[in-house]
Amino acid sequence: MTRAGLHKPGDTLSIRRGPITTTQLVMYAGASGDFNRIHYDHPFAVEKGLGGVIAHGMLTMAFAASCAVEAFGPASRISNIEARFTAPVRVGDVVVATAIVERVAPDGPIEASLTAEVDGRVVLRGMVEVLPAAEAAV
Amino acid sequence: MSDRAEIDRALIGSAAEPFTVEVEKGAIRRFAEAIGETTPIYFDEAFARSLGYPGIVAPPTFPTTFRPLAKPAWVQGLDEGRILAGEQGFRYERPIMAGDHLRCELRLTDVQDKRSSKGSMELMIQDLIVTSHSGETVCVNRRVVIYRGLTVTLAREVSS
Repeated sequence: MTRAGLHKPGDTLSIRRGPITTTQLVMYAGASGDFNRIHYDHPFAVEKGLGGVIAHGMLTMAFAASCAVEAFGPASRISNIEARFTAPVRVGDVVVATAIVERVAPDGPIEASLTAEVDGRVVLRGMVEVLPAAEAAV
Repeated sequence: MSDRAEIDRALIGSAAEPFTVEVEKGAIRRFAEAIGETTPIYFDEAFARSLGYPGIVAPPTFPTTFRPLAKPAWVQGLDEGRILAGEQGFRYERPIMAGDHLRCELRLTDVQDKRSSKGSMELMIQDLIVTSHSGETVCVNRRVVIYRGLTVTLAREVSS
């Protein structure tokens, strides 16, 4: 957690995750329960036409979600977060996740776009709706 | 070969056996560690309380860990090597917290054919409905999974 509180359209925060390691993919498989072999078994992934192991899409989305939490602060409440996976992420890749505020509703909720990129290539596109901490109530 | 529908359309609208999840601190910690998180709301109860949460919070994508005990009928017999993540979404009524007892139902909402220059694929649109024991919706997790046709490869340079 660094700074918090993007609050007007155009405000932007990026975070960097990686390089992705096979160890991380195995940890993510264990923590998430997604044991599809395409995420850690190289010969299997090659045989299936993937050119090698690919990271779990949901690991990349977790990075985008981390970016959103960091952008609006851990006391804010996410009401909706969505993402589409547009390209594979591989071992060794550094993922840069970015949140950009698109809209701020008068009564508080903020909508931001989310992207994740590897070497400038978009691997995830999404959005998040957040209720900032001041309006959020548990 | 791969242009034939492989997912049984008769299963659209059906659900896997409902299951319950007890959200454990240790499971949240392992998930947070796996995604490289260090934010204390996932690890430190006192810190989470100081921000107004009743306890340790689960990261936004944590419901992806909620899995039926047995594979749903619509994925039985599929080649796992051809399954890819397509899209995911999480709509929250409130955050998921350590100690929550949740009821989950995974439903096959739709199956769609998709064709591209790379070949044919089928999309499985699944919705995981997460409710509290008192019956209130906590989260809806839409999971769109791609089932690649046999001819669809995924070398880095052909994806965009």
